Amino acid sequence: MLADAIRAENFRLLKNRTTLLWSTVFVPVMGLIFGAVGIFVMKASEAKITSDTKMPPQVLELMSSTPINVVESIAENAGKLDNPALLLFVLIGAATIYAGDYRWETWRLISARNSRANLLLGKLAVTAMLALAAMGLMLVGGLFETLIRASVFTRPLTFGLTGELFGQFLSGFGLSWLRIVQFTMMGMLAAVVTRSLLVALFVPLVVGVAQFFTPQILAPMGVMPDAWLSVLLNPGAAMDALKLVVIQPEGAPPLPDGMLLKSVLSMTLWTLVPLAGALAWFNRQDLSKE
Amino acid sequence: MNAVIETRGLTKTYGSVRALDGLDLTIPKGGVYGVLGPNGAGKSTLFRILLGLIRATDGTASVMGGGVGDVGAMRRMGSMIETPRFPPFMTARQVLRWLALEHGVGGETDIPYWLERVGLTQAADRKVRGFSVGMMQRLGVAAALMSRPELVILDEPTSGMDPPGIQEMRALIRSLATEDGVTVVLASHQLLEVQRVCDRVAILNKGKLVREGAVGELTAIGERLRLVGTPIEKVLGALSVTATRDGDAVLADIKRSEGPALIRALVEQGVDIHEARWVGTDLEAIFFTETGSVQTPEADHAG
Repeated sequence: MLADAIRAENFRLLKNRTTLLWSTVFVPVMGLIFGAVGIFVMKASEAKITSDTKMPPQVLELMSSTPINVVESIAENAGKLDNPALLLFVLIGAATIYAGDYRWETWRLISARNSRANLLLGKLAVTAMLALAAMGLMLVGGLFETLIRASVFTRPLTFGLTGELFGQFLSGFGLSWLRIVQFTMMGMLAAVVTRSLLVALFVPLVVGVAQFFTPQILAPMGVMPDAWLSVLLNPGAAMDALKLVVIQPEGAPPLPDGMLLKSVLSMTLWTLVPLAGALAWFNRQDLSKE
Repeated sequence: MNAVIETRGLTKTYGSVRALDGLDLTIPKGGVYGVLGPNGAGKSTLFRILLGLIRATDGTASVMGGGVGDVGAMRRMGSMIETPRFPPFMTARQVLRWLALEHGVGGETDIPYWLERVGLTQAADRKVRGFSVGMMQRLGVAAALMSRPELVILDEPTSGMDPPGIQEMRALIRSLATEDGVTVVLASHQLLEVQRVCDRVAILNKGKLVREGAVGELTAIGERLRLVGTPIEKVLGALSVTATRDGDAVLADIKRSEGPALIRALVEQGVDIHEARWVGTDLEAIFFTETGSVQTPEADHAG
C-alpha cells in the first residue's frame, strides 16, 4: 500500500506540469544558459583575461588548452548539486507535494484509501525522486556546459573513468541528494503543522539561512565550529565534513577529532526528527479542517 | 442482520460543544439508508469519524467489520463528503486514474464506464478547474463508486444539481442498491428525495439518535382515511369508527386494510363519497417533530 501511495503521488505530480517544470527543469536550463553566456563572454575577452596577472588560476584553467576529463567534471559537479538555486526550486515542488492536499482540500478523497503513514511516506518518496530528477538534469546541463567550453576553447575531451572517480561521483551525488531531501523534510513538517504551502517553502529556507550563520553567531560565545553544539545546529557544516571524508579532495586538511561522529549524528537528527515529527502530528491531525 | 456501520457511545466534542453525544447506531447491510438531521445534528461529524478524517472523543465505531482506520476495511468503502474538491490541474479522467492508483485498483478500463454512468463522458478530458458544482458532484460520485465498494457514504449527493441531475442521481443510487448490491448511506436535506430513495432512515438531533426505522413504517404511523362525502353529518353518523372532522372532510382512524370495506359500507348506506384518500405523516413532519422544529400540516399520500 505504500507502493500505491507512491504511484498515485507520482502520477499526480506528473500531471502538475507547472510545478514539475519549475522544480526540475528551470535551474538546469538557466544554469546552462548562464554558463554558456559566461563561456562566450570569456572567449570574447580572452586576450585581456590571459594577460591579467591578478586573474585567479581557476579562471585561467577554464581557458587553457589542457584536455577536459568529462567524467571528472561530472564527478566534481555531483558533489555540488545541493546548491542554493537548485535547492530553492526543488523546495517549490516539495512544498506543493506536501501541502497540496491541504490547499486543494483533497485529503477527504484519499485519507480513507490508505494509511496516513503511507500517504506521507509516499509524498516523501516522490519528493526524493523529484530531487533526483532535478539533480540528474543539473548534471546533464553541466555536461553540455563542459562540451560547449571544450568547443569554444578548443580543448580536447577525455573520458577517463576510474574507480576513484566513480566512487567520488556516487558519494558526492548521494550526499548532495541527502542534503536536499533533508531540507524538504523540514518543509514536510512545516506543511503538516501549518497546512500552508508558503510556510512549507519558506521554513526550510529560513532555517537554512540560520544554519549558515550559526558559526558566526556561536563564535562570540566561545563555541568553535567543530564543537558539538555548532555541528548539531548546522547540518550544512556536517555535510561539508562528510563530503571531505568521502571525496577526499587533494590538499584538504584532515577533519578535527570526533568531527565525523558529530557530523553523522547531526545529519541523522536533522533527517529523522522532522520526519518523525511530521508523521506523529499528521497521524493525529483533524483532516476535516482542510 | 449484518451491519456495515456500527457505533456505540460515539462521542465527539469540540471544546464545550458535543457534536456527537453517545451515538448508538447500527446501519444494516443492503439498501439505501438515510441519515437526517438539522444543521449541527452531527451527520457530517459522524461521516468524518467513519472515514478517519477526525478521531472520536469517546466510544467506538466500526465500518465493514473493521475499526475506523483499518485500511483493508476502509478500501471496501467509497465516499463523497461535502462538495468534492480535486486538484485543479487534472482532468476528470486523470482524477479517477489518480484515485484508482491510490486505492490500489488497477486498470483504466473502468474509468470510461464510470464517467458515462455519471454523465461526464463529454467532459472527461477537461480540467476540473472549469467544472460547475454539479459536475464536481458527479465526479465525486464516480470517484466514490469507481473501486466498486460494498458500502458508499454520500453526503448531500444532489447538492448543486439541476432537476434532471437530481433525478439521474436518485436513479443511480437506487440502482446501486438494487442491481449492484451496494449499501448506500446518504445524508441529505432534501427530505422528499430521501423519502423516495431510502429504505430506512435515522434522524439525528444534537448529536443523538432520536428516531430510526424503515421509511414505510415511520410514515404509516398516524395514517388516516380522509373522506369527503355528502351529507357530511350522515357520513359521521354512518361511521362506526373513530373519526374527527377536518374542515369539510372526515378523518377516519382505521387501518389501510379496513379502508375498502369501510368505503363499501358507506356507499351501501347511501353516502355519496366524493373523495377518499389516505393522509399520514411524511418524513418532513417526522423530522420537524423529532428535531423540535415547527410542525407542518399533515401531508397527502398517493392512493
